Amino acid sequence: MAYSEKVIDHYENPRNVGSMDKNDPTVATGMVGAPACGDVMRLQLKISADGIIEDAKFKTYGCGSAIASSSLVTEWVKGKSIEEAGKIKNTDIAEELALPPVKIHCSILAEDAIKAAIEDYKSKQSKQGK
Amino acid sequence: MNYFQLFGIEASFDLDLQNLSSSYQALQKAVHPDKFAHASDQDQRIAVQKSAQINDAYQTLKQPLPRAEYILVQRGVDMPNEQHSFSDTGFLLHQMELREMLEDVKQASDADAALLEVQRVLSSEYLQLTQLMRAQISENNSASNNAACDNLRKLKFYQKLNIEVDRLEDALFDD
Repeated sequence: MAYSEKVIDHYENPRNVGSMDKNDPTVATGMVGAPACGDVMRLQLKISADGIIEDAKFKTYGCGSAIASSSLVTEWVKGKSIEEAGKIKNTDIAEELALPPVKIHCSILAEDAIKAAIEDYKSKQSKQGK
Repeated sequence: MNYFQLFGIEASFDLDLQNLSSSYQALQKAVHPDKFAHASDQDQRIAVQKSAQINDAYQTLKQPLPRAEYILVQRGVDMPNEQHSFSDTGFLLHQMELREMLEDVKQASDADAALLEVQRVLSSEYLQLTQLMRAQISENNSASNNAACDNLRKLKFYQKLNIEVDRLEDALFDD
């Protein structure tokens, strides 16, 4: 299958690969996986006190499209508020990367990773509030 | 007629593969195109369809994960769409560790031993999960069927990982 140029670019030069301390209260971690292809994706966001995403890191084991989708997401979410980041749709990712229909699930995985990270952040916040 | 009935075997996760295989061969023989060389177009077509169905059934039942899935679907368990994301964080973190472990094999001073260790860990965890799923399938109530379905989804991650292991093994020892 032919990958789009943007997918190849992100695959060959992935942005923001790495990890943060998942126990840091300002770090939100989203873990998602896709049983169909065995892809595993971890997205981590460093969130400021006023809810702005200051930094983002990812690590993905999966196909080129899954890696490109998560790499793209780390670029997009930086500087956004968590509300704005939560509005990123898989269709936006799929469109930007020109993903073929069989690879749409990779963009869904990336969207779900953002949601999982935001959920993790909210649960950390509520624990701190106690 | 379900796949188990087709082969005349009991619908169970534990099945005699030898038995399945001989039943499969006998059925395929009965619908072999040579036998229908002089039959009508319609009969030939039916024989081809039958042969394809027998083949599908065999491919499904002979492998444990497709067999488990077939049994659960037959019981009316709502299998989540495969595209549906899986979000058991603890499990996924562990999957990430296993993939990192596999990645490190290439850099290991003794790649052979490192790969063996990964294979040992994977097969022991795979076996453990399979045993758990087997018990849940044989328990056969709504809670156990759903739990089995959950473990089946987990096992698919191991299946994928095993493919990666085989690929790495080929790459390491081919040259």
